[in-house]
Amino acid sequence: MEKVSLAWRNLWRNRRRTIITLAAISFSIMLVQAFHNLSFGVYESMVDSGVRAGSGHIAIYHTGYLNTRDETLSFPVASLPEVIEQIPGVVQALPRIYLPALAQTSRESRGVVLIGVEPKKERLTNPFLQNLSDQSMIRKSNSRDAIIGQRLLQELQIKPGQKFVVTAQHRDGSLHSELLRVRGIINTGMKDIDSSLILIGSQRAAMLSGHIGNVHELAIVLKSAWLDRQVFPEIAKRLVNHPNVEAVNWEQAMPNLANAIKLDYASQKFIFLIILLIVTIGVINTMLMSVMERMREFGVILALGSTPVKLGGLILLEALILGCIAALLGSFLGCLATWYLATVGIDLETFMPETLEFGGVVFDTVLRANWDIAWMAQIAIYVIGLTVFAALYPAVKAGRISPMEGMRHT
Amino acid sequence: MGQISFMSLIELHNITKIYRVGSQKVVALKNLSLVFERGDFAVLAGPSGSGKTTALNMIGGLDRPTSGQVLVNDLDLGKANLKRLADFRLHNIGFIFQSYNLIPVLTAAENAEFTLMLQKTPRHQRRERVLSLFADLGISGLEDRLPKDLSGGQQQRVAIARAIAANPRVILADEPTANLDSNTAEDLLSLMRQLNNSHGTTFVFSSHDDKVIRRAKRIIRLEDGLMVSDNSQNL
Ligand SMILES: Nc1ncnc2c1ncn2[C@@H]1O[C@H](COP(=O)(O)OP(=O)(O)O)[C@@H](O)[C@H]1O
Ligand SMILES: [Mg+2]
Repeated sequence: MEKVSLAWRNLWRNRRRTIITLAAISFSIMLVQAFHNLSFGVYESMVDSGVRAGSGHIAIYHTGYLNTRDETLSFPVASLPEVIEQIPGVVQALPRIYLPALAQTSRESRGVVLIGVEPKKERLTNPFLQNLSDQSMIRKSNSRDAIIGQRLLQELQIKPGQKFVVTAQHRDGSLHSELLRVRGIINTGMKDIDSSLILIGSQRAAMLSGHIGNVHELAIVLKSAWLDRQVFPEIAKRLVNHPNVEAVNWEQAMPNLANAIKLDYASQKFIFLIILLIVTIGVINTMLMSVMERMREFGVILALGSTPVKLGGLILLEALILGCIAALLGSFLGCLATWYLATVGIDLETFMPETLEFGGVVFDTVLRANWDIAWMAQIAIYVIGLTVFAALYPAVKAGRISPMEGMRHT
Repeated sequence: MGQISFMSLIELHNITKIYRVGSQKVVALKNLSLVFERGDFAVLAGPSGSGKTTALNMIGGLDRPTSGQVLVNDLDLGKANLKRLADFRLHNIGFIFQSYNLIPVLTAAENAEFTLMLQKTPRHQRRERVLSLFADLGISGLEDRLPKDLSGGQQQRVAIARAIAANPRVILADEPTANLDSNTAEDLLSLMRQLNNSHGTTFVFSSHDDKVIRRAKRIIRLEDGLMVSDNSQNL
């Protein structure tokens, strides 16, 4: 205990230097924690909107469909959505039919993607449908109502309420056409989607394509993205009686988004590494300065009968105390910063008025942090370790001096 | 250590110490042979640069001779490793330095307790010892002061308390009075003599001040690293 007291007093011999060092370490911890939490929150919201507008946290396909997008590869859903929705953590299971088709008006024609959905269920999840008014929604699963991408609407030169024709290949190989009516307009902000997307009721899509009772995709939305590891095996269990059907998680179903996040996080980790490296160099410098100033005293302590190991231990103890204070202080600041970023957030609208697209997904322009407590603690502990590590060289240096040399220092 | 020994407490056999400064060699001690017995009160006298500090460093195991042998309390210091030397100093030697060398962040009492702390003596025992030492040394009441709030004489008394707290066999003092005024120096020497008389503690100190040298029971004169005389006197 006396050693701790001695180390503590030594730490405050040069008050200003210690405070500056503490501030630098704490500030770095705050930066790293706050930025990580911000990314953590942003990635989560990106995954969330990507998942809600896309194929869910986990999706079920006919084997091979994901790679080929061959629309003949549909599978019978039967009661699968209801069964899966029983699994704890699952919010919804959304059946979908995807059909490449040709849309025609009296003036124009365009290649489109028809998506057959269950309109009421889909609206609960899909953020773009939530923005539509009741008058713009598809009324029934078998109605002729269509929700159509903004750009596609312009390209086809039609208006809401007007009719157009879609033609798609039937399961039997022949071409079938249906008359649809524009009910709502969707604007995702992504050019590709806004110029090719048409949503219709699932029964209407099944009638058009002959995939009665079948779907191409069953998109499963979870309460939180981090539940997928837990829920996945549960889903797999319920698929054993469904031959030729596979479940994939969002990272496989949306590789672009997953890769974009991985890449972004990797570059961030690199920056974190550099920040921590700079901190380490700063601590080495501080500890080395404080050791060099005390050479004479160390000579005396060794002369009195302390061993080099004990003396080195004292330096390491000083660093450990420094690291612990910095970790506490830095984490406190990190919590404050995270709290601000989580409640207020950063509104990007002021910087860039356009929609934000990342990895093929549009997301909210207000970036918000999310708490990753385990990671914050981990960083704090790392920094304590780094501080002690940084004191290793100064400690060895102090232990190496001979008492006589030390005492010759003035 | 409790064994009966036929050896003297300190034996220096043909000690030569050569320092290398760049390409130059400085011979600090030449063939010095000396024996100290228990209860000695000896001074190493000589002008600056004559090798006094070097000789004390040899006895204290702070430095190794270039050639020759140092035996203290049966231990061959030239053959001991760093850990063993540190242990030897902790249990056998008390140091008093010219410039006191108290640890600035520790209070007077904590400084005096330092070697006891290294020896892992229980706290209350240490306090007791230091309180009685402070009383003997006439510095009672200064226990909680930091070195910077003490006079030179007070600091040197704390340093003496530190040196004798663990009851070492030998106390080595390198020009202990050089930074003190003559009255204070006088007091300090009386104190050392008293300890020597009452506890039989062996003292080896150095000085170039005749007034101080005269107070020793044994005077060893050094010049340019050579011993020129070794006289005992009755006081
Ligand atoms: N560490 C050292 N490196 C080089 N020369 C030294 C060292 N210590 C002492 N000397 C030299 O050795 C000689 C004796 O020094 P020292 O023992 O300090 O004498 P004193 O204590 O009697 O003044 C001097 O010439 C001094 O310059
Ligand atoms: Mg000297």
